[in-house]
Amino acid sequence: MIGKRTITGRIGFALAVLLLVSFSLLPFAQILSTSLKHQYDWGNPSLIPQTINLDAYKELLGLTEAKKVEIPAAIQKILNNPKLPQDKKDAIAAKYMSNDNLFPFGKYMLNSVIFSVGAATFSLVFSVMGAYSISRLRFKGQVVIQRSVLFVYMVGGVLLMVPLYQMAMNIGLASSLWGSAFCLFLIYIVQTLPVGMYMLGNYFRGIPFALEEAAMMDGCSRKEAIIKVVLPLSLPMLATVFIYCFIIGWNEYLFASVFLKQYPEFHTLPLALQELFVSKNAIWDRIMAASMLTLAPIVICFLFASRFMKGGKTDGGVKG
Amino acid sequence: MAAITLKNIIKSYDKTQVVKGIDLAIEDGEFVVLVGPSGCGKSTTLRMIAGLEQPTSGDIIIGDRVVNDIEPQDRNIAMVFQNYALYPHKSVKENIVFALRRLKVDNEEIERRLSEISEMLQLEELLDRKPADLSGGQRQRVAMGRAIIREADVFLFDEPLSNLDSKLRSHMRTEIGKIHNKFGRTSVYVTHDQVEAMTLADKVVVLHDGYIAQSGTPMEIYLNPTNIFVAQFIGSPSMNIIEGTLFNDYLDIDGYHLPREQLSNVVYQASIPDSGLKVKVGIRPDFFNDKAFFSETEAAFNFTNLTIDLIEPMGFDKEILFNLAGGSVKARLDLRSEIKRGGEIDLLVDLSRVLIFDYQTEQRL
Repeated sequence: MIGKRTITGRIGFALAVLLLVSFSLLPFAQILSTSLKHQYDWGNPSLIPQTINLDAYKELLGLTEAKKVEIPAAIQKILNNPKLPQDKKDAIAAKYMSNDNLFPFGKYMLNSVIFSVGAATFSLVFSVMGAYSISRLRFKGQVVIQRSVLFVYMVGGVLLMVPLYQMAMNIGLASSLWGSAFCLFLIYIVQTLPVGMYMLGNYFRGIPFALEEAAMMDGCSRKEAIIKVVLPLSLPMLATVFIYCFIIGWNEYLFASVFLKQYPEFHTLPLALQELFVSKNAIWDRIMAASMLTLAPIVICFLFASRFMKGGKTDGGVKG
Repeated sequence: MAAITLKNIIKSYDKTQVVKGIDLAIEDGEFVVLVGPSGCGKSTTLRMIAGLEQPTSGDIIIGDRVVNDIEPQDRNIAMVFQNYALYPHKSVKENIVFALRRLKVDNEEIERRLSEISEMLQLEELLDRKPADLSGGQRQRVAMGRAIIREADVFLFDEPLSNLDSKLRSHMRTEIGKIHNKFGRTSVYVTHDQVEAMTLADKVVVLHDGYIAQSGTPMEIYLNPTNIFVAQFIGSPSMNIIEGTLFNDYLDIDGYHLPREQLSNVVYQASIPDSGLKVKVGIRPDFFNDKAFFSETEAAFNFTNLTIDLIEPMGFDKEILFNLAGGSVKARLDLRSEIKRGGEIDLLVDLSRVLIFDYQTEQRL
């Protein structure tokens, strides 16, 4: 048995892989399938839609033409009443003319992007600084800091949700829109920082210090050596950490539901999806299309990241 | 261009002293080799000159500046690292010109210096490659190029050849010698290889256990070592140390009496008791000669009827081992000697090359 595999062994292995992959991919296939089905097709267990229906996507992405809403004749009569003040008329008209039964998917997506990309960017910057100092510098209390950062990660979010909100209330941040957003931002950063620091810290340790010394001999300050040598060499790990932080923020529901509850216009996608389920817009194809669009950036991220994650960046620099 | 002065440099890590007080003056343009066994503090000393380590006490002066508190990037020093430390994400060309780009040297000047150096180091073909695609010797040359192009005041070499195979090593050693002759910069070179020390240095500094054991020109160190450590560290095969007894008229080694007045390198003046003074005698294997090919002169002493225990043929040389005064002694003879194991041989020794050391302190007498 020197790595030689029999035919049956190979087939068995392939089958096992296939089973595992289909098991994890089936739910996604279900989402995709339903999002593309017409209403009459929803009860059909087949994953392949009889006809492809892109209306749900068009609607969510705002590609449908705004429907001209006809004001019912009875209401028009009221509006024509000259005794009614103009502002009342406008209010009534607005009620019938408005398109607010449309789901503002784009806005939610933008909110999600702002929160997760913003938090991931800050988290990455802090991770780099933290990781560099725990992996390269010697200072008092280094070990304590290293451990206590990890401690943050050990405590689950549910436990901290109430106390954090209470603290935000006490210092008056939770009562304003920007305060709440700031708190959420901070929470995402703190949540992702420990893992980011650890991943990067270990990666930095793998980069020979001699490279930085060489840069210093070449006239760089330590800061320049980090920027010109350490960071370019860490690109794969920087991308990984960024995507990790981004996904945590993108998928986060718990804290967002607490801090953004009162500010519907700032809801992120997970919150919006939850609302979609219970709203009058709870139509299957639309829910599934929204789920699909929520998934999409993460999938794209992974595809993008895998290009960065070619290993062996530091090969050939040092020997011995 | 700059002279370097080290004044009573001490370096400790936590409680262990690694460098225990080094005073050294390196002249402008001089090529100084710090040599010693591992752990003797030679690399630490070099890194302190570079500014990558801070001395615990003492002063480092480069040119006319005390550089203790000057950052490495401001010392105008170029360094070749033992493991090359090339930037893996940059091409060979970018590796070499990295420092110049940082200094915003104009492009024409960069290209001029680059072509000069890549020609000298035969790197023209490699400029667009990444370090990972180079062989060890090529990487070494890139590392050299990166240091040379700076035209820095001082060049530092930290065991630059220790990762190369022996053929490449001797080739690069010659190249380094040529480069030094061409640029004439003050250079400090760290190695544990005494051949590199002997061949490259204007001045060899032998370090032992954090101290300077001896410093001087290669020939001084080779011919007149001041203690047994230096005597045995420099020279290959290393010097034989044989027990002997010094009397007023002669030096006794295992019953052989070497006449005192011929031992021109023994300058011991103090009086010697009648029972003699126990000493350690140092004779380099190279100073033994086969009597069959050399005539006996006044200055030579004949060790007769030595039994050969072992022969190691090396091509031109052959090294033989024989027993003298209870110890195994090595001699290097040339290819003409017709000898066989277990046979007997007469060996001549140039008496002016015989050294004696104190039995306890192992210092020269």
